[in-house]
Amino acid sequence: MKNILEVKNLSYTYQGENAEALHDLSFSVPAGSYVAIVGHNGSGKSTLAKIIAGLCSYKKGKVTLFGEELNKNNLPALRKRMGLVFQNPDNQFVGSSVRDDIAFGLENRQVPSEKMDGIILEYATKVSMEKYLDHAPENLSGGQKQRVAIAGVLAMKPELIIYDEATSMLDPVGKKDILDITFGLREENPDLSVISITHDIEEALRADYVIVLNKGKLVLEGKPSEVFTHADTLKEIHLDAPFLMSLIDSLRKEGMDVPSDVDSLEKLEEYLCQ
Amino acid sequence: MASLTIGRYVPYNSFIHKMDPRAKLFALIVLMVAIFLPYPTYVMSFTIQGIIFLFGVFLLWRSHVSFFRVLKSLAALWIMVIFILIIYVLVPRTTNYPAFDINGFVIYWDSILEAARILLRLVLMIVLSMVLTSSTKPLDLTAALEWYLYPLKLIGFPSHIVAMIISLALRFIPTILDDVERIMKAQSSRGVDFENGHLGTKIKAIVSLIIPLFVSSFIRSDELANAMECRGYDPNAKRTRYRKLHFRAVDFVETFVVLAIFAGCLTLSIMQLDAYNAIWGITTL
Repeated sequence: MKNILEVKNLSYTYQGENAEALHDLSFSVPAGSYVAIVGHNGSGKSTLAKIIAGLCSYKKGKVTLFGEELNKNNLPALRKRMGLVFQNPDNQFVGSSVRDDIAFGLENRQVPSEKMDGIILEYATKVSMEKYLDHAPENLSGGQKQRVAIAGVLAMKPELIIYDEATSMLDPVGKKDILDITFGLREENPDLSVISITHDIEEALRADYVIVLNKGKLVLEGKPSEVFTHADTLKEIHLDAPFLMSLIDSLRKEGMDVPSDVDSLEKLEEYLCQ
Repeated sequence: MASLTIGRYVPYNSFIHKMDPRAKLFALIVLMVAIFLPYPTYVMSFTIQGIIFLFGVFLLWRSHVSFFRVLKSLAALWIMVIFILIIYVLVPRTTNYPAFDINGFVIYWDSILEAARILLRLVLMIVLSMVLTSSTKPLDLTAALEWYLYPLKLIGFPSHIVAMIISLALRFIPTILDDVERIMKAQSSRGVDFENGHLGTKIKAIVSLIIPLFVSSFIRSDELANAMECRGYDPNAKRTRYRKLHFRAVDFVETFVVLAIFAGCLTLSIMQLDAYNAIWGITTL
């Protein structure tokens, strides 16, 4: 499978700081996968997002997006193929209504204005915001604003969506909405890759692949069912393993031989009833 | 916070709401000029201002602006009223039409009339601008402004960037007002008193509001810039427009009506024509 993103030996230090924000990081994201990057505050996960989006220029290492090495010259072209959703719902809402906000990206792409209304309606419907098209941002909830941000990103038909802690400022309902929409989108379009930078472990559990960062270094990587069994390592870096994984871990410590393909409560129940 | 909502856009389906924002902006400016033109006598000034006032009231009524809101914003003028009256009563006049004589201190008619003329101008300005702001979306107004600034592009003036800045500023007003409220609550809970105390304490309280507000606004603008960049915004690149302005036949008619009013006022002003004297032979102040 083709890799949509490859990071090789990436190190990054912020200007005027001694400590490295990222240290010798290497990983790759296969096309069409959902990768969760988790880590505690200060683990360097937001820095990583900024580098991938071209908002910070790196010096050491190599970042390859869509098969091309990221640099200043091809950044505008590469940016057209990916979309970012940021943490703060207010600070990425550019238009004065839902309609105008989705149109903002289209205007930048020089989409003819006659076609815009159709596109806006199509993508607003995908995130179930079609009833709020003329609402101003101050009359929307955080979750609704994030949904608009996703619609704005989707309207540009990206191959890769990056969530930079997109759900961390939302209430549980908003969080669930965003995740459901994202998984729904991937069912519709299996080629869409998602990189989600998050500290929501339950979200990471639903991902295809998990990368755990701590203090700029890669600590663990692999399938969620593998990564989250390392409860001790996770605890050391102040991350809680998801409830299911802690349960399996404790069962194994008690001497039970839980197979590694158990990744849901149902499967565990089935196994225990045998 | 409430005072900021006075000129706010109120959606309705009136002909004024549907009018092209460029035509509306043009009409506002032209009528304002008509108000400020010099007319030969006070009575002529009042007559013309009266006509424009009636026109303004008609517009207010048609654009569904609540008269209560207009009165509320006019009430804010009372300090100006006192100020203007004092200034004009104290300024010595050249003509001799005494109105009152208070123990030898003479107040002349033209002081009172001049003050009244200035006040009427202010009232008219407020009424007409309220018609504009309450019937036009800020975004449309920005678009109109950008259209008028377009010729300046020839000399390198970035009118599209200015328009983007204005529309972003308008977009963030409610967000930043929310911030103000939140910071005020947070600081109050830490013991800052925004309501009582003498001037020094009040200034200190305001500083404790302004600094966090600046910090949060800078963070916001930084994140906004990142988000805009990621969504492909390049200030120098060509962009298409979602909202297009359409100048319809009705807009021409409406602009023509306003221009006709303006032309009448301009003629009277340039000819310094005292209509009362010319028609009825009455000499007025």
